[in-house]
Amino acid sequence: MLKSLKSITFGIVAAALMAGVAHADVTVYTAGPQSLIDKLSAGFTKQTGIKVNVFQATTGKVMARIEAEAANPVVDVLVSASWDTATDFAKRGWLVKYSSPNAAKVPDFLKTEGAVAQGISALGIAWNTKSGTLKPTEWADLTKKEYKDLVNIPDPAQSGSSFELTAALAGQDSFKLFNDLKANGAIVAGANADALNPVLQGAKAAVFGAVDYITLAAKAKGESIDVIFPASGTVIAPRPAMILNWSKNQDDAKKFIDYMLSDEGQKAVADEMLMPARTDIPANRPLIGDLKLLKYDTAAVYGKRKETLAEITKIYGGK
Amino acid sequence: MKANGIGGAAPAAWLAIAGLVLVVAVPFIAVVLQGIFPHLGQGSFAGPFSSLLATLADSALIGMAGNTLLLGGCVVLASAVVAVPLGVFRALYRIPYAPFWDVVLLVPFMIPPYIATLGWIMTLQPRGYLQQLVGFNLAPFLFSLFGMTLVMAFNTFPVVYFAVSRTVEAVGSRYADVGRVFGATPARAFWRITLPLSAPGLAASLMLVFAAAIEEYGTPAALGRRAGFQVLVTGIDLRITDWPIDLPGAAILSLLLVGMSLVTFLLQRWILSRRSYQTVGGKPTAKDKRPLGALKVPVMIAFSVVAFLATGVPLLAILATALSRTISGGLALGNLSLNNFIAVFSNSAGALGALVNSFSLGIATALITGLVGVTAAYTVVKTRMRGRTTIDVMTILPNALPGIVVAVGLILAWNMPWLPATPYNTAFILLLAYCCILLPQPVRYTTAAFQQIGDNLEAAARVFGASSLTAFRRILLPLVFPSLASAMLLVFALASRELVASVVVAPVGMQTIATFIWRQFEQGSIGLGMAMAFIAIVMTTLLPLLLLTLLRRSGLVAE
Repeated sequence: MLKSLKSITFGIVAAALMAGVAHADVTVYTAGPQSLIDKLSAGFTKQTGIKVNVFQATTGKVMARIEAEAANPVVDVLVSASWDTATDFAKRGWLVKYSSPNAAKVPDFLKTEGAVAQGISALGIAWNTKSGTLKPTEWADLTKKEYKDLVNIPDPAQSGSSFELTAALAGQDSFKLFNDLKANGAIVAGANADALNPVLQGAKAAVFGAVDYITLAAKAKGESIDVIFPASGTVIAPRPAMILNWSKNQDDAKKFIDYMLSDEGQKAVADEMLMPARTDIPANRPLIGDLKLLKYDTAAVYGKRKETLAEITKIYGGK
Repeated sequence: MKANGIGGAAPAAWLAIAGLVLVVAVPFIAVVLQGIFPHLGQGSFAGPFSSLLATLADSALIGMAGNTLLLGGCVVLASAVVAVPLGVFRALYRIPYAPFWDVVLLVPFMIPPYIATLGWIMTLQPRGYLQQLVGFNLAPFLFSLFGMTLVMAFNTFPVVYFAVSRTVEAVGSRYADVGRVFGATPARAFWRITLPLSAPGLAASLMLVFAAAIEEYGTPAALGRRAGFQVLVTGIDLRITDWPIDLPGAAILSLLLVGMSLVTFLLQRWILSRRSYQTVGGKPTAKDKRPLGALKVPVMIAFSVVAFLATGVPLLAILATALSRTISGGLALGNLSLNNFIAVFSNSAGALGALVNSFSLGIATALITGLVGVTAAYTVVKTRMRGRTTIDVMTILPNALPGIVVAVGLILAWNMPWLPATPYNTAFILLLAYCCILLPQPVRYTTAAFQQIGDNLEAAARVFGASSLTAFRRILLPLVFPSLASAMLLVFALASRELVASVVVAPVGMQTIATFIWRQFEQGSIGLGMAMAFIAIVMTTLLPLLLLTLLRRSGLVAE
């Protein structure tokens, strides 16, 4: 019996090892969605013959992995869901300067020396169309009585874009809106997906500042949900793609960025209900030009990150 | 002979030590070093202790630590209240359909806690399944300490139930009968004889529940935050995943958690060390159980209610969600669809690969932790080797290390540039992570079993010329095998669903069941995630049962 156990263990171990040694040419760490990176890497391999190995998690967990690996990093290309990552990594001198020929049609504010947007998401109000409430059109509508106890807010500490929206809106009226929302029974409810789920089932009527592409994808699947972009303005979250300077495959990594920004790559981005970074790629959803963007100073906002989060915790934390 | 009491235990001890060093000590030391040297990740030892003060001076820390202890205590209490009576009845009385109840009460183990919590949320929140069925919701109860305790206790009480029913069964009614002969009432005989003699199993299982409760992430994150209830694990997770990442802070908070778990462990050891619990002495024990008599109806009701709440509600909620075309469609016939199950079986998003990966890893983890666990427990309980307390402490360390911290420790340890070969970025790193996190289970179960076996059994074998290895293999191993087997099955189930470490440490391009489900949730495909969860729960329940039946047929495990 022990012998057969041994051989079973050995077999499993060998199989596990085989699964691990398939070495890739380009290693991409990316914040979701998984289906997008699956499509991009399959298309890239088909076109160039270069294999792609993917690690996908939330921006936070991707960063934790990079931080823990810092002594011996393996990642070649990083796609984050927060532009803040690109700014911070550039400051640390971790980025390779590269300007892809396909980036010509990417607007200037969506590219820097070391980073270029893959696609862009925007924040809006995700609203359950069967909730029996009047369709909201403005952020402030969610402080009305009919939304009493029916509003979820994604945790700004767990989502970069949610933080920027919070900071931008709080900067306009020194947290009055957030105090009013709290008075109306709104709650801070986990990361983006955690905030949306109760709205799908109807426990809540609306998410204040939902990531649009997840909600639009749910709508495409037949969920009774819609996204409203308030006319007073919202924030966008460009998703920076970067090549890390420790990469030993920088040429292949550049090819991956090129492919991501090609017609085919950008179409895959649009199919995920994200806004393509290139302005000449059509998408079946509102684009940057259709949205009014809130004006705020990113550097100043991130400089006061701790204070802003502390204030939100003070308003919403505890009972 | 100096090294051990009864005989050549050296091979077992060395195997245990080698396994523990590789599986536990390496990542644990990495975490400790990270706590001391903040820049360890960059390979630098600059500024030792510089983040210690900043982390410990955090004003929220006392609140988080207090909440952690409070939650752990409540879950232990609730689990004991639910599980001990059921376990005692199961052990001493003839329960109708006993194997059926065992299976039903095993299922909560197989339900990943974050899935069970989501199931409860979708059932009890406003317009949830309960409201759709009967018109009211229980949201205020759910999003509170009370709700958290209940959800977590329903998830962990099987640990106590199975430990109590096995140990009380092993103690048998023989000792209590002696008490009865000398005039004790049945209640007095139970409280003064049976229950105290079952203490090793009970204490070990309660400690496992406590450690699991203070280490659990999913439930406090989903339910606690809304109630303003922060625990250490949620604080650690925030430090690790919130940019700029604070690995040293997370490491220090984890060590605090480990400290808590260590204190309960030492407390348990101290309680148990005050007397002997040996009840398996080689004398034949009558295994005949008493009929329930008038208690039949209330006991059956108790089993049914617990089974329905712990197994029925979460499973039904998972199934209802998996079978819904859309979540907003609710419980309506027109919304019924097999699409999500079809998607899993047509390998959408790599679902089948994830199942194969998780089950292979689960089996490998069960075998390795079983082997290291039984040798470590033997060394600690049955030998007089110096340093055996160190071994015992090492087996308890991972118990309170949050999964995410184990993952970070493993990356720090195995991704050092000068290593000639490394398991990092292969499936082996997941195997190491699971072994580390789950090793305490087989150790605790088999330790409790060894404590009940009299020394004279092994001594008798040695007197009749058996080598120490033969004595271990032919006498001790068969006696602890029921405990070992159940612990290994538990490890299999827990390993095949482990989430938090897997998300961080999984090699590039590899999915497990839990990471698959988690990614579906992240993208709003709750139905697909739930379909996968349901399939995984059914398989993790059926596979071990099949295995047990086969083992029983082959005569390796007695009924």
